[in-house]
Amino acid sequence: MTDIGKPQDPHRLRNNIFIIAGTVVVVATYLYLIIAQPAVVDADFKLNGTAAVIPLVGYVLGALLIAAGAINRLPTTTVVLVPVAILINIVVGQITAALGLPLYLDSIGTILVGVVAGPAAGAVTGGLANVIWGLTLSPLALPFAIVAIVIGALAGWAARLGVFRTYWAPPLAGILTGIIAALASSPISAFIFGGATGGGTGAIVQAFQAFGNSLLASTTLQGLLSDPLDKLITFTIVMLILLALPTRFKQRFPFVRQYNVLPGMKKKSAAQDKAAA
Amino acid sequence: MSTLYLDRPSPVHRLNPITKLIGVVAIILLVFALPYWWAPLAILVLIVTPAALLARVGGRLLIVGGAILVPLLIVVAIGQGFFNAQGETVLFALGPFEFKLEGLLFAAAVGGRTAVLVTAAMLLLLTTHPGKLLAALTQNGMPPKMAYVISSTLQMLPTFRARADSILLAQRSRGLKTRGNPFRRFAVLVPLISPLVLGVFVDVDERSTAMEARAFGSTGKRTALEVVPDPLAEKIGRWIVILLAVGALVLGFAGFYPNLEWP
Repeated sequence: MTDIGKPQDPHRLRNNIFIIAGTVVVVATYLYLIIAQPAVVDADFKLNGTAAVIPLVGYVLGALLIAAGAINRLPTTTVVLVPVAILINIVVGQITAALGLPLYLDSIGTILVGVVAGPAAGAVTGGLANVIWGLTLSPLALPFAIVAIVIGALAGWAARLGVFRTYWAPPLAGILTGIIAALASSPISAFIFGGATGGGTGAIVQAFQAFGNSLLASTTLQGLLSDPLDKLITFTIVMLILLALPTRFKQRFPFVRQYNVLPGMKKKSAAQDKAAA
Repeated sequence: MSTLYLDRPSPVHRLNPITKLIGVVAIILLVFALPYWWAPLAILVLIVTPAALLARVGGRLLIVGGAILVPLLIVVAIGQGFFNAQGETVLFALGPFEFKLEGLLFAAAVGGRTAVLVTAAMLLLLTTHPGKLLAALTQNGMPPKMAYVISSTLQMLPTFRARADSILLAQRSRGLKTRGNPFRRFAVLVPLISPLVLGVFVDVDERSTAMEARAFGSTGKRTALEVVPDPLAEKIGRWIVILLAVGALVLGFAGFYPNLEWP
């Protein structure tokens, strides 16, 4: 395989501006929601419409900017991996549902790509996976694209830190990713959809509300109930898949070679790092 | 392709995809901008339904939209009706639980908005071939790599599903039990997923070499093989729709809309 890992990119600055602008929009939206906590209905029971527009526009726009900036940074070897990873997400998600397991397991491909190809690739996979979901299954998936982007990027950063070199750290990283995913997605369910995101999860949200929790607290609790366990299992499955991969595959990815991220590999010394660069 | 697209001869189908996309965005902004309980319903009846009938996809929209929305709306109506904290006016009681008007209105508002969001987006997907949508978006500045990822995922989805099915059947014929308690069923996942992942990783290698040989990674400006027509009238129409939607939104932020009394 020819090494086309780091092509000369004339638009590097533009791509980085896209990613930074997208991140700023998303973080600003998130802070607005958490600090202002705009109500769908205000105190005198008047419908508050504009409050929901800000998260909707902010999250979708931010996610698109990040995905557009990140995808242009990826080499061809990684871009062709993305559709396959999205398909793995969809199909494994469906197998899980067919087996009747009480989990989603619909981000295995995203996390796999994040680990072998880096945070930018993971983010692109997550974001576009939700676009595909929106196109084929339910448009409600689109505002949640930013959550999938965060999950993919976190998987990449975890791999870079060496989480997947060990056998015990991936499940822990999975729990942490799950908690962050729950915190990222709960304001979307609460403020854009008023908790109305689906039959099953919706029912759990209503149940938490019945116990006197606010809408945001209810969607957060619902997320914390399912996401950490789901990501714990997803990260563990990804580790098992990585163990089963033949060495030939593992060595093919520039990100893997650069940071030695996979099980059984050793952390590179600073001198080796310099020599590689 | 396993998308929602329905090929029908209609004026809505012939519109430029960008025009339709902007129309959908405008409808969604409008439904959030208007602070009235009946706004989502009005938009569904006055905009979405006529457009669906004009595009001759009404029945299909009802089926696919209903499949998503009906369970969601039922759960929200029951949950909010009984448990919304702002509820005061009791409509009826079921044992110790009281069903309240304010909760039902809240459910109507959030459910109605979600319904408009889903149906408007589905109208776009039902009337626009994904290839045409992606071509139009690429011509308007979307990264070509993004178009590649989306279109190739959509094209590979049926074969990939077939492959997953055959792996499931093959493992079952070797005695893999896919029923039983949750832990056993979970243990089944790994022997199912590994062959799937390994199989596709092999294909990826060849594909990337072939594509790189055809200048896929080139950063130069690209030309389109199929140019999606974009008449001037539609361009003007788009701007008017954008201005109307943004205007409605600005008025909403400014608190312009009068507080209509609930009858």
